[in-house]
Amino acid sequence: MSDTQPVVTSALSRAAVERHSAAAGEPVWLLERRLQAWEAFVRLAPPAATDEEWRRTDLSALDLDALQPLLAAGVRKATPPAPLMRLVGDPAAAAGLHLAVDGTPIQSWLAAELVRSGVVFAPLGEAVRTHADLVREYLGSVVRDDENKYRALHGALWSGGTFLYVPDGVEVDLPLVSGTWLDRDGVLLSPHTLIVAGEQSRVTLVELSASREADARTLINHAVELIPKPGARIRYVNLEDWGRNVWELGVVRTLAQRDSTVHTLMVAFGAGLVKTNVESRLVGPGATSEMLGVMFGDGAQHFDYHTLQEHVAPSTTSDLLYKGAFKDRARSIFAGLIRADYGAQKTNAFQLNRNLILSDGARADSMPKLEIMANDLRCTHGASTSRLNEDQIFYLMSRALPRATAVRMMIDGFFAEIFDRIPLDMVRERLSRAIERKMAEA
Amino acid sequence: MSAELLIKNLWAQVEDKVILKGANLAVRSGEIHALMGPNGSGKTTLAHVLMGNPFYQVIKGEVLYNNEDLLAMAPDDRARKGLFIAFQYPVSIPGVTMASFLRTAVSARRGYEKDHLMSLAEFQKLARAKVEELQVDPAVLGRYVNEGFSGGEKKRAEILQMALLEPEIAIMDETDSGLDVDAVKIVAAGVNRMYEASGKKMGVLVITHYPRILKYIKPTRVHVMFDGRIVTSGDADLAEELDQIGYDGIRAQYERVAAEVVGEGEVRSAGKVFWVQH
Repeated sequence: MSDTQPVVTSALSRAAVERHSAAAGEPVWLLERRLQAWEAFVRLAPPAATDEEWRRTDLSALDLDALQPLLAAGVRKATPPAPLMRLVGDPAAAAGLHLAVDGTPIQSWLAAELVRSGVVFAPLGEAVRTHADLVREYLGSVVRDDENKYRALHGALWSGGTFLYVPDGVEVDLPLVSGTWLDRDGVLLSPHTLIVAGEQSRVTLVELSASREADARTLINHAVELIPKPGARIRYVNLEDWGRNVWELGVVRTLAQRDSTVHTLMVAFGAGLVKTNVESRLVGPGATSEMLGVMFGDGAQHFDYHTLQEHVAPSTTSDLLYKGAFKDRARSIFAGLIRADYGAQKTNAFQLNRNLILSDGARADSMPKLEIMANDLRCTHGASTSRLNEDQIFYLMSRALPRATAVRMMIDGFFAEIFDRIPLDMVRERLSRAIERKMAEA
Repeated sequence: MSAELLIKNLWAQVEDKVILKGANLAVRSGEIHALMGPNGSGKTTLAHVLMGNPFYQVIKGEVLYNNEDLLAMAPDDRARKGLFIAFQYPVSIPGVTMASFLRTAVSARRGYEKDHLMSLAEFQKLARAKVEELQVDPAVLGRYVNEGFSGGEKKRAEILQMALLEPEIAIMDETDSGLDVDAVKIVAAGVNRMYEASGKKMGVLVITHYPRILKYIKPTRVHVMFDGRIVTSGDADLAEELDQIGYDGIRAQYERVAAEVVGEGEVRSAGKVFWVQH
């Protein structure tokens, strides 16, 4: 077995977990953790279709045994394929860049002054060796392996992903960018992203992923742990443009400490099916979480987002805005829960989900939910699903705009509310391009 | 370039209600027409039908624009060919800035290829000039289209669009309503300047309930619409006269003629009112 080629095993098994861990030269504690996760995977039943969280997203067609787990081993220096370069764009606009193909890192750099200030930006598999104590302390501290069957599978076989550590007081201006390209199909890829931002630090990570359009079902099973220490600010962007053969299951969870601020932006353009939980637990007083989401579905795409804004400590703020446009037979589910625990006084919690239906066959379901145990708080939530307004289209056309241009302008206008809140040109450009592409497709 | 809008026996309905019942009107380059009439007489319907609002269905009749079948054109074609309407109740479009909307609109009107825009510098220069001329707050360009605009701001924004799109034939639908007298003067001065700037070539149809604006925009012809038809036409003095006798006087004459037409199916007139049965 060469350590410069991806390791492919024939099936999901305990032996595969052991082989992967050994091939990656992992320490014993990590192997033990993986094996525990494997046992949980074997023990746990798949989520029942009657389970409230899963009743609108049917995974019964998913055959885990048919998937080849894709396990990174080492680093394979290679020229990034053209679609990956298009995806990440100009590296000069970034303070650091990671590129991975089929789960194996091919390029990794970080601006020299950040290296000097102690910032770590490395593939997680590498950080396990180079920064063992840090990884051991934080890995799995926010997302547990035994939460459900898929997370257990993730815990057993995670591979690839990013470790980002920013020491106290270090402020990183330019975004760090991580680009993933998947050339193979019929595989299982389980990347894990772990961000630890020290006190009063500031950092932005943009994760971009895409794959070749292919036939065989691929499963992406990702987990993201965001840990801002007191006063830290993390901005995390996750943009996926997977091929339609890809199903993606994921969890993005923040544990926000005192006076920290986290912005998450989830962007879904690709994949056949996405089922992601995006969760903020505000455990320190004064913590703030902004949660943004942009979805544009076409064809038979299925997007299911379950969000949680959990206010544990007093004087915390969460502000969620998810907007989706859906054409053809695309389907969207948004289930958003605001929970204010006992003692979470002076909570500010806002939640808004807006959907734009562009074709008769498209559908969006929105289920906002509140669980309020505190009695001194401000909380608003709302949801709307609407169609393109013909009066507005007529108005724009009466000013010489062809119908297609008018519709495009209105869709841009629909998303503008979110775009205005994203201070990252590279992300806005990608959103704009993707919308243009989606609208151009018949 | 001389333009001509010919409306011939135009019938139109909204949902199941027939609103236009044989409207006839010609507006040509250089002419300023005033279309007056009580509320509900069909003035606004006429404007929307001319612009191609899909909410209104044409039942019969024809409209020629420079000898082309206007009714067969999509609204954007009509606008590109030089027809403009300043709406009475322009809709707001959240998320779309006036600047980006107007730059796209001007580019389309000026015949730029699809998805091509006039340069930002050129557009900004043009927009600044028009904004100043019409005494519109330049901040309007950064706001979303009509979003949160006061009634007066909306009307002025419509006239700003008219100035930028440089129409051949412009229809102003109740632009004066909801404006105070100073705003009416500013709007009227703007329209007069556009008219002069076109070398007195622009054709204008001012739709109004009140004769007030006609003190500042001098019409060459005045028409009165009643029950979906133009029932009388005259020169600028007709507006003055209407101000005195009111629409009720016209209504009485109209009803008498209508009764006779039903009885005899002929060309009829009574006082000022005439009706040609088609």
